[in-house]
Amino acid sequence: MPSGTLIESIRFGYGPRLEDGILPAAGLDPARLLVQLQDPQKPIPREGLTLTHRLALLAEQRALSQAAKMGGPKENPAQKALQALMAEELNDWVWDAVVTPNGFAERLVNFWANRLTVAYKKGPGVGFLGPYREEAIRPYIAGRFADMLEASAWHPAMLEYLDQAASVGPSSELGKKRKRGLNENYAREFLELHSMGRGYDQHDVTELARLFAGMGYDENGPGLDLMRAEPWNKKILGMVFEPGLDEIARLINFVARRPETAQSVAQALAVHFIADQPPADLVDAMAQAYLQHDTALIPVYEVLLNHPAAADPKFQKLRRPQEYMVATMRVLGLGLDQSEGKNRLRVDKQLNTLGQPAFRAPDPDGWPDTAEAWLSAPSLAARLNWAEMLGRRYGEKAEPAALAAIALGAEARETIQAVGRAEQRWEGVAVLLGSPGMMRR
Amino acid sequence: MAGILLSRRDFLIGCSAAAAPILTPMTFAAAPGENRLVVIVLRGAMDGLDLLRPLGDPDFARLRPKLAQNAEEQSLPLNGFFGLHPACAPLMPLWQAGELSFATAVATPYRSRSHFDGQDALETGSGEASGAATLARDGWLNRALQVTPGAQSLGAVTVGVEPMLILEGKARVQHWYPVADSRMSPQGLDLLGDLYDESPDLSPTYAEAQLLRGETEAASGNSGEKALGGYVAERLRGEARIATFSFSGWDTHHRQEYHMGKRLAAFSEMLLSLREGLGADWARTSVIALTEFGRTVAENGSGGTDHGTGGVALLAGGAIRGGQIMGDWPGLDEADLLARRDLMPTADVRGYAGALLHEMFGLALSDIEGQVFPGLNLPQTLQLVR
Repeated sequence: MPSGTLIESIRFGYGPRLEDGILPAAGLDPARLLVQLQDPQKPIPREGLTLTHRLALLAEQRALSQAAKMGGPKENPAQKALQALMAEELNDWVWDAVVTPNGFAERLVNFWANRLTVAYKKGPGVGFLGPYREEAIRPYIAGRFADMLEASAWHPAMLEYLDQAASVGPSSELGKKRKRGLNENYAREFLELHSMGRGYDQHDVTELARLFAGMGYDENGPGLDLMRAEPWNKKILGMVFEPGLDEIARLINFVARRPETAQSVAQALAVHFIADQPPADLVDAMAQAYLQHDTALIPVYEVLLNHPAAADPKFQKLRRPQEYMVATMRVLGLGLDQSEGKNRLRVDKQLNTLGQPAFRAPDPDGWPDTAEAWLSAPSLAARLNWAEMLGRRYGEKAEPAALAAIALGAEARETIQAVGRAEQRWEGVAVLLGSPGMMRR
Repeated sequence: MAGILLSRRDFLIGCSAAAAPILTPMTFAAAPGENRLVVIVLRGAMDGLDLLRPLGDPDFARLRPKLAQNAEEQSLPLNGFFGLHPACAPLMPLWQAGELSFATAVATPYRSRSHFDGQDALETGSGEASGAATLARDGWLNRALQVTPGAQSLGAVTVGVEPMLILEGKARVQHWYPVADSRMSPQGLDLLGDLYDESPDLSPTYAEAQLLRGETEAASGNSGEKALGGYVAERLRGEARIATFSFSGWDTHHRQEYHMGKRLAAFSEMLLSLREGLGADWARTSVIALTEFGRTVAENGSGGTDHGTGGVALLAGGAIRGGQIMGDWPGLDEADLLARRDLMPTADVRGYAGALLHEMFGLALSDIEGQVFPGLNLPQTLQLVR
């Protein structure tokens, strides 16, 4: 398979890996990128990334901690196993992207996981964050957005993160008995952040919260808790919905197909891949394709990849910390041997230092996607420290100028020359990894 | 290679860059007897003409109108012809005590001007103008160990950072990472700064970020280089008899007056802390500081100098016969220069290193010329050691 162009690799992936050699700078072949989406497997296969597995571990952990309270053994192997799995998925956020030959697929997984953010929060939901990514996001990146939205809505990670599991229909049996009520958190973010973004009002939010009431999960997985479900019909965006599972599915599909959702999804994708202010005609054309194909994403990607802005040789986006880290590690050709053992690269800590700790987006709108949110002196200082550290660690025998040509293309003459003039190899590598060219995609 | 890790602290390379910077690697080897040798690699091509200023050469002031503007008044007098850079004032007591010497107009056989290849040539001891390494691509100091009579081998270990090429090879050595110092040299920062200058959207943030990094460094009291001499001394007072490490930051293309002064001051401090740390063992110690090549005799347009050929090697220590400036001075007249730009080397710098190995550790001349420094014609008359 041809290894593609620099534009494909940088704008639509995580940048070239050392083994890619010097890629042609210009041009873009949409088919070569789309083929990556045919079977978007997790690059590093792992055990234990399923909801079923986590639910079982969680049950075991609770039982053991219960037993400990009753005087049983203090050790909790289930707790330890959960923590180990969570540590692994934090690291994989970086390493999956470092080792993958399918950068576009991985960028899309991260894009969608960020649009439908779940993040660290006290409670059982933390144990589901990894499976959410693999079960609610990854399988749908080349499918229909409506299906992804539905998978996300029902995933316990989301049910916990935006409190849906705690929402009780006021007229439900539990609501009447315990005097509990709605939690609108998920219903609001579903409309505001996940789908439409505009074109609804508070009444729609409340009604949607009534429809969603009862969505939850138990040790067997997600389901509708009839004790919490709100009876009676709901009127949302002018449409009437009855209680029940099918109606929730109908609502999600209805909202996914709204033109506001099309516009919002198209805008976010264009901002992510093209520019902080993307061309309006591109966004409109993507939204059009989205609606014409019943929220199917491949046609939307096709419009994106065929637009002239996709092949613009000038990279306009600032890499976010995770993207930056990954790009630097790829240029050096790092492999999984650097992710293990006492001297492993502590990518989890580095993400904290760079300002983008894994699974810890501060708000439900996820990590910001524009330069102004990321361009700060402390953050750039941290990137330069990282560049120096990597240079020291991996650059002593490198050919800095050759690496620069791989990372940025043979046309990046200024950078190639500058890194070749450094007084030591490692320093040349540090200059490259800290250079403006490495900050952009 | 299996080995023993000697660590002052439990360093975990690769943890948070901000909190725990990567370290300057130092490399040690044990040789028999009580004599000690320290080899310092001055990476970046130190300007020998600024360290050791040929004030008596009529062309010097002409070639360096700005850099040598006040050289006459400010330099520290050595022998009537050469003056020492004023930032080396702390070293003057060594000179006066006969514990400091210079070898002038030296170079390796390497005849191009790439830092990377030049340092490799310096460290492998290549006898080729191309800088081509030996087949084993090992360092000359390691090969010296292999032929040192009675040298014990010690375990070697690396902790994340590559060992120095100069001591890489079959003979076992130890590695030690005591000093927190991951920072780029001022020259590296200049290169980076120039790239950011071309990116107006990023350059103001870049300037702030570098300021911030400087403050953090100052606040953490980064005295790494100062402490370096003490650390080396500590090892040499133990079982190590040969130590080598890098001292970088000499690539002074811009603002040489400033950068050179800072580096030489730091170097002087490091050398004094080495002497202090060695105590009585200083009398049995030789230090040789080598750089990959010299710099252009003429200053450039940005207050600096560019890559050249002939340069200076510095020797220090209680064991050496100091107070000398060795080597034939080729002159700075245009006709005397190499390619009409560089100081003409009149001696192979490997000869000084080879002579030290011979005089300090009794290496056979045939081993030095045959194995340690292939193609070297060892001068018989150097007598570097007391």
